[in-house]
Amino acid sequence: MGKINIRIIIFALAAIFMSLISQTSVAYYSTVGKATNVVTSGNIQFIIHETTDQGTEFPSTGVYVIPGDVVSKEVTIESDCNHPFYLRVKLVYGVDSTELSADDCFKLNINNEYWELHDGWYYYKDKVDPNETTPEIFSHVEIVGSKVDNNYIGKTLTLTVDAQAVQSENNPLTDNKTYTASGWPAE
Amino acid sequence: MKKFIVLFVTIVIALNSILPLYAADGKVSYSGDAGQFVFEPGSNKSLTDLFPDFKDVMPGDSLTQKITVKNKASNKVKVKLYIRSLGAHEDSVEFLSQLGLKVQKSEENKMEYMFDASANEKAQLTDWVYLGTLYSGGEVNLDVTLNVPVELDNKFQNSIGYLDWEFKIEELPIEPEDPKPPQTGSNFMLWLSVMLCSFIMIIILLVWRKKDKENKENATNR
Repeated sequence: MGKINIRIIIFALAAIFMSLISQTSVAYYSTVGKATNVVTSGNIQFIIHETTDQGTEFPSTGVYVIPGDVVSKEVTIESDCNHPFYLRVKLVYGVDSTELSADDCFKLNINNEYWELHDGWYYYKDKVDPNETTPEIFSHVEIVGSKVDNNYIGKTLTLTVDAQAVQSENNPLTDNKTYTASGWPAE
Repeated sequence: MKKFIVLFVTIVIALNSILPLYAADGKVSYSGDAGQFVFEPGSNKSLTDLFPDFKDVMPGDSLTQKITVKNKASNKVKVKLYIRSLGAHEDSVEFLSQLGLKVQKSEENKMEYMFDASANEKAQLTDWVYLGTLYSGGEVNLDVTLNVPVELDNKFQNSIGYLDWEFKIEELPIEPEDPKPPQTGSNFMLWLSVMLCSFIMIIILLVWRKKDKENKENATNR
């Protein structure tokens, strides 16, 4: 038994020795390897939230109103991307009648602490960081009684929130005003 | 003992979270004997991706990716190292043609750009470009700079560009007049791994000895 073990050990040592020798007598090689490199580009995305003061989603079908009503509607915008951006919002008023105008039918309590009006757009005064949600642009909408008269009975008034964003990286401001950023889409 | 183990596990977790920071560079390793190249770190888009820093790029970005090409072959051979570009994949040309790419050897930036063109092109890397002769443990460092124009169109949001590079090695015998292989690189990670393994082994041994002792004492009490 002992002899067999010794033979195995000698055989193993010989094998190791041979493999070492074979490594010293390699030919000289040439070899090629391919790397597939990848460049990806980022994006800017956001979500507009419209809620009531109860924290529920504002009904997509709208609400029935009478002149003088104050409707709870909080509009905030949440970042949905990995890059910071500047933001602007336009409020568009409408009515389903060619003879009537929706102008001055709504009175909004604009949050001027964080948003400033410039050329018809409300600009968020700071950049919006990833995963951040802005303070509300407004939280209540008053149906102006002196403007919405009997002609508006049965009509639908609409308030549309249009938002645009532009990256804040590599995009310097003048006088720290976000409306001076480059890249705002042309109207 | 429990506190000690908790502390040890915490340290290991902390180290694991820190160590990947060292892996931000691209790495190309050649192990010798006509073996395969190993490309690191790779990505979820390509296992051989050398551009970890060129992800999620934005208009106006100017980013530099460090790439180290290392000869890990035995000290019985030296290798001649070459690089060439195969250009962009067909479906990546529109996006990559918008971007500027520069490649240069990073030793004090003494060398002129070996590549300076749109990222989709082969340009100066159409043919094999000699990077140098490396002895065992030797390495060549490349600086790859990507310039994204600030005017990049909105339609290129969320775009992906694939760009193929090839590396070639020619092994040559070491001549008597060749210099001795230089001591390059750091063995910090290797030593850290060895120390961690040893540490774990010692703890396992201590726990095992303690349990063994307790078992023996219990057996004696009975």
